[in-house]
Amino acid sequence: MKMKIEFWGQEFEVNVLLGCLGSFLIAVISSMFGFGGGPFMVPLLTVGLGLPMYVVVGSSLLAIFFNTLMGSLRHYQFGNFDPLLFLIMFPAAILGGYIGPQIAKRVSPVAVKRIAAAGLVLLALNLLGVY
Amino acid sequence: MLQHHGKIVSSSLLLVFLLVAFSLPAIASDFTINLDRTEFDNGGTFTVTGKAPAGSRVFLEIWSEKQVRASYFDSKKDPQTGKIPYILYLSKEVPAYYQIILPADEKDKLQAIKAEGKKWSLSKALKDLGADVAYRAPSKIKIDAYKAGFLASVIGSRGKLLPPLDPKETRKRSMQLIKARFRDPDKIFCPALEISPDGSFKASVTLPKDSAPGRYYVVAVTDKGERSAPVYLENHLRFPSVYLSNAGTGINIFGPFLLALAITTFGVLMGAGGGFILNPLLVSLWPLPHTVVAGTVMPTVLFSQASGIYNYTRIKFINWKLGLSLGAAMVLGGFIGPKLTELITLEQFKFIFGWILLVLAGLMVWQTTPGYLERHKKEQAILKEFRRRAEEAAKARLAKEGGR
Repeated sequence: MKMKIEFWGQEFEVNVLLGCLGSFLIAVISSMFGFGGGPFMVPLLTVGLGLPMYVVVGSSLLAIFFNTLMGSLRHYQFGNFDPLLFLIMFPAAILGGYIGPQIAKRVSPVAVKRIAAAGLVLLALNLLGVY
Repeated sequence: MLQHHGKIVSSSLLLVFLLVAFSLPAIASDFTINLDRTEFDNGGTFTVTGKAPAGSRVFLEIWSEKQVRASYFDSKKDPQTGKIPYILYLSKEVPAYYQIILPADEKDKLQAIKAEGKKWSLSKALKDLGADVAYRAPSKIKIDAYKAGFLASVIGSRGKLLPPLDPKETRKRSMQLIKARFRDPDKIFCPALEISPDGSFKASVTLPKDSAPGRYYVVAVTDKGERSAPVYLENHLRFPSVYLSNAGTGINIFGPFLLALAITTFGVLMGAGGGFILNPLLVSLWPLPHTVVAGTVMPTVLFSQASGIYNYTRIKFINWKLGLSLGAAMVLGGFIGPKLTELITLEQFKFIFGWILLVLAGLMVWQTTPGYLERHKKEQAILKEFRRRAEEAAKARLAKEGGR
C-alpha cells in the first residue's frame, strides 16, 4: 500500500502499511514502558521507509505526540499517575530542555553518542542481572 | 429439692468456669507489649518489649495504616488442570509497610528462603518459619480479580471482573500481592526477637527511612494464635521528604528532581528522550512501582513535544498526511500499552528494558559509523537549508500579514 506525500515541492512514496505497523509496535512498547518512541521512530522512517531526515523530524514528532497523549491518559485511567512525583520531575524536564541545547553547542555529537552507548550497555547489563 | 438446687449451682459454676477458661486465651491478660518510643521523624529504631504466656514462641506483626495499590498477574500453569489462569489480582488496600519480626533463631531458615531467589513464595515461607499464625493484617484486604483474555488485552481493558474471592482465597492471593509489593524476603521478615522461657520478649526494630507517614500498628502473636492488644506508633515526614501516595513511599524531592534534570539534559545531547534512562534508574534507585514510574514519566514530555510541534508547524515542517497516518497507528498502540504494564512484574519490566536499551545502544553506535556520519552530514545540510527557507517563508508571511 503506497501513499504519496509532498514536502516542500518534492514528492515521496511511502509504504504506509509498514510505517503504520512499525509505529503501532513502537507505540505499544513505548507506552507500556513509559518512554517516548523517538529514537526508534526515526530509524523506522529513514531506514525502513527510505525517507530523508528533513521529512522525518517534524512528522515523527507529531505521530509520537499522539502516542504520548493517549498513553498518558490511559496510565492515568489505570491509576499509574502519581501527581506529586510528576510535580517534582516536570520542572526538571523543562529545565533540562533549556540547559541541554546550551551544552550541545559545545560538545561533539559523536563523542556524546559513544559515551551514551557505553552508558546504555552498562545500564542494560545491570537490568539484565549480569552484574 | 435441695439436691436439685445443688445441681443448678454446680452446673452454673461449671458454666462460669468454662466461660472463664475459654475467654482467657482471647483476653490474654498476661500478654503485654510495650514500645520505648511512639513518635518518629522519617523512620528510626525502636525497642519492643513484652511478656507472652510462658513457653510460647512469639512473632511481631507490624503494618502501616496507609494503603497502596498492588497487582499480581497469575499466568502460571496450574499443575492440576494444566491450564493457564490469566487472572489479574488487584487491591488498593495493601499496607504501604508490612513486616513480621521473627524469633532470632529463625535466621538460618530465612537465609534458606533468600537463597531461593526471586521465585520464593510467601505462603511457603510463612509455613516454614511457623509465622503463618502471625500473618493477619493483609489477609482480609479487598482484592478484585479480573479474567484477562487476549481480546480484552487487545481492546485494552482489564477483562471481566470475577465474583468476590472467598476468605481463604483472599488470604492466599493477598500473600502474592504482598510479595509483589515488597519482593524481598528481607523486607517482609526480620529475625530480631529474643524470647526468654518465661515468655518475656524483646526486639529492636528499625522503621526504614522514607517509610509512609501516619500510624503503624504493632501486635505480638504467639505460635498458638494468641494476640496481644495492638500498640501504635506514629511516623512523620518533613520537607524535603514527601509521601508519594500512589507509589506508597516517601522520597526526598531532590533525588528524582536532580536525576530527571541530569537525564533530560543528557537526553537532549544524545538526541533521545530521557525516559529510556530515567525509568530504569527510577525503579532501581527508589522503591517505586514500575507502573507508577511509566505512568508519571510519560506525561512529563507532553509539554516539550507540543512546543516542538508548534515550532515545526510555524515553519511548515510537518507533513500532516504522514504524521497523522502514523499518529493514528500510534494512538492505537498507546491505548494498549499502558494496560500491559500492570501485567508484568518489576523483574520482567527490568529484563525487557535491558534488551530495549541494548537495541538503543546498537542504534547509537550505528549513528557514529563513518558511513552513517557522511550521509547524515549531507542530510543535515539539506535539513538546515530547508529550515532556513521555511523560516524565511514564515517571516515573509508574517510581514505580509503585518503590512495588510
